[in-house]
Amino acid sequence: MKRYMGKRILFSIFSLLVVVATVMLLVFSLIKRSVIFQMDDTWNKKSSNDRSIYEYTMYSKYGYLDYVDYTTFLKNKYEPLYGSEYTKNADYKADKDAIQNENTYLENASVQEFIEQSEKKGYDINYLTPARSKSGKVKSGGNGYLIAVHEKSVFLRLWDYITHLFTVETTRDVTDPALTERYIRVEKDPYSGFYAVVGSGTTHKYLLYVNGRFPFIHQNFIHLNLGTSYTKYRGQEITQVINRPTGDQKKTRSQYPAQIGTDQYVDTAIDFHTLTYNYNPRTNTEMKQFPDQYTSYTYQYSGLSMLENSFVTGLIATLIAYLLGLPLGILMARHKDGILDKIGNGYIIFIMAVPSLAYIFLFATIGTTLFGLPYKFANAQVKVLAYFLPVISLSLPQVGSLMKWMRRYMIDQMNSDYVKFARAEGLSESEIFRKHISPNAMIYLVHGIPANILGCLTGAIITERVYALPGVGNLLTTAINGHDNGIIVAMTMFYTLLSIISIILGDLLLAKYDPRISLISSKGGGR
Amino acid sequence: MSDITNKDFQFIDINTIQAEKITAPRYSYWASVFRVFFRKRINIILIALFVLLIASSFIIPIFAPYNSYENVTDAKSYNLSPKAAMEYFGGFSFKWIFGTGGQGNSIFYGIMSSARTSLILAVICAAINMTIGIILGAVWGYSKRFDQVMLVIYNIIANVPYILMISVLVYIIGSGFWSFVFALTVTGWLGIAYFFRTQVLIIRDREYSLASRCLGTPIPRMISKNILPFLTSVTVTLLATELPSYISMEVFLSYIGVGLSADVPSLGRMISEAQSAFLTYPWEFWPPVAIAAAITIILYVLGQNLADASDPRTHM
Repeated sequence: MKRYMGKRILFSIFSLLVVVATVMLLVFSLIKRSVIFQMDDTWNKKSSNDRSIYEYTMYSKYGYLDYVDYTTFLKNKYEPLYGSEYTKNADYKADKDAIQNENTYLENASVQEFIEQSEKKGYDINYLTPARSKSGKVKSGGNGYLIAVHEKSVFLRLWDYITHLFTVETTRDVTDPALTERYIRVEKDPYSGFYAVVGSGTTHKYLLYVNGRFPFIHQNFIHLNLGTSYTKYRGQEITQVINRPTGDQKKTRSQYPAQIGTDQYVDTAIDFHTLTYNYNPRTNTEMKQFPDQYTSYTYQYSGLSMLENSFVTGLIATLIAYLLGLPLGILMARHKDGILDKIGNGYIIFIMAVPSLAYIFLFATIGTTLFGLPYKFANAQVKVLAYFLPVISLSLPQVGSLMKWMRRYMIDQMNSDYVKFARAEGLSESEIFRKHISPNAMIYLVHGIPANILGCLTGAIITERVYALPGVGNLLTTAINGHDNGIIVAMTMFYTLLSIISIILGDLLLAKYDPRISLISSKGGGR
Repeated sequence: MSDITNKDFQFIDINTIQAEKITAPRYSYWASVFRVFFRKRINIILIALFVLLIASSFIIPIFAPYNSYENVTDAKSYNLSPKAAMEYFGGFSFKWIFGTGGQGNSIFYGIMSSARTSLILAVICAAINMTIGIILGAVWGYSKRFDQVMLVIYNIIANVPYILMISVLVYIIGSGFWSFVFALTVTGWLGIAYFFRTQVLIIRDREYSLASRCLGTPIPRMISKNILPFLTSVTVTLLATELPSYISMEVFLSYIGVGLSADVPSLGRMISEAQSAFLTYPWEFWPPVAIAAAITIILYVLGQNLADASDPRTHM
């Protein structure tokens, strides 16, 4: 079994790599990279050489290339010699200004050294000649630049992406020599009243803790780094984008870490579980508030994050679907060709055949006009009410699908020998249905349960769009429309990861539910 | 009563060939399929509706080509209800039976042209996917060596959500009609092929197949006589779900903005353009939704009933 799972996981990782590699290859080689500057205000404001340099910085930030600027080279050269005041040095100034003359810049010794060094490393030298107006003066933004550029291949990018996918926090993360104590230990957590794993030397102070927020247990040991957004959330990490809570700051009565044990309290929105290491020395106020260098924090918000929004709505909808769909399917099978079966079939045909867009709008119209439920999420006065329509829109099609399959499998089982035998034994119909047919029909549906639950994390595209629910479902589609290659790759990775995990979990659950099913083909028994 | 003489009898030879024939009612598979199919009155009504729909969506655009920009310079013609549009353009006309859209375009002509696009798209995609899927699926199921290779490919591609695959493809190769068809068919056949592989596997190892293999039946005859007839009803069932699914898919993809480009009239685009105002200008939103729903429901129900009829067990 272990060997089988090992093989299975290895193959899954392999296929994940193939998928991500293919998407990266397609996206980064076939889509023009300049699309990232669409709707970029900074890019619009800059002109001439400044704009080109800005493009290079952005390309390097998004991993298209590595580039070294001549000024950075000069800084590395003169800073060790003259300290932080190096910019006032005359040699430095002369070297720096040398590239502003396109006719003589190659005669400068530093320039020659820079070019030689860069070419040795395999970089291409790119000289942006100063842009001058007719009078000979340099135009605004037209300063000359000397840079060395190295284009990254897609495979190198893929390697970078994969190797940075997971980061693990260790006690050696903080490189500050001032930090003396390095440990990871279990301590009593004053903020939750429970125990927490606390680290020193790690980036985060609290590595494992509980609080009142979904999913209640949080960890900071392993971070999933899906990459950065290009155009939509300029330069932000996608994992943070989907996890960042929305809404207003939520103030609670709390204490700063240094105040614990005293009777001093503050009303603050700071989430003290998110403390991270700060390299800057503490200010006087911070000295009174924090006992150590873990002074950076984020705030608590009243709203849910994008991921939570999607997951909560999806999960409730899935629960409703199973609670309604399975019993209804059983009832339909039991009263086959009866009135309930006919109504149910009509509903199934409606849900299966009509485009999902159509019935979601239908539900939206009915819900808003007849029941006065809030339509757009942002306009809702009571936020809880705003989840009603999305949950209903998500669960009704799932109910239909579960009804369909449950009925189908029930009817298939109803003619089996064991049912005839049970009937011959004199068991009552309800007992046969409850204890014999339903568990056997469920075998076929068990496999899909993990996929349905984990699938909630991917969000719902149409539902979230129609009700303007801030969830992850639309991240991919808006990324495609906004040419956000970073999000496209990240979401491919995320979706594929979830899909692989849910298939494996489904198989395991199936093998657990039905002991006759073995994942390993037995030798001798098989053909 | 006259006497019976030998004259009244005539001698008939024993025909050994005739004697071997067993008389049974004439049975033709397809005749029975359609007999069962047309026994249900709902099917006749649906077919009539469907023919009407096809005819109008193919004929009306010939005589009244849809041009969404014809009144774009006339801002007064924007977003008019059917009644207001008819008043504005002078009297009753079928053109304004559903009012005007956001650019003064005729909604009625729009949905007719779009319905044609959707139908053509569905038929082309279904034809490509089903053909490739069935042929490859049959080989896949029959050849054990091919099976190993294909399973690896399938396991990799099946991990990727279909929507993700299509949207990324449309993003990369563009959104014209034919690139859209390409995006829908480049991996669309794989699911069908896998489905057929399983079906072929089941029949390949059935007793009657094993028996005819032992009797030395050549493979082409095995495929055409033993396997394919069994797959007819399965194929029709699959077609019944595949055809409407492409229409839904187009509507969905155009709605999220990765569908057909603006120069191809499509139901999804019309719906997505009208959706923000579906409460204020309902005549722009519901007609394309209704026509999409009508096409998909008709195709789905007809297909399911045909699939039921193509199962020989219902021919009794």
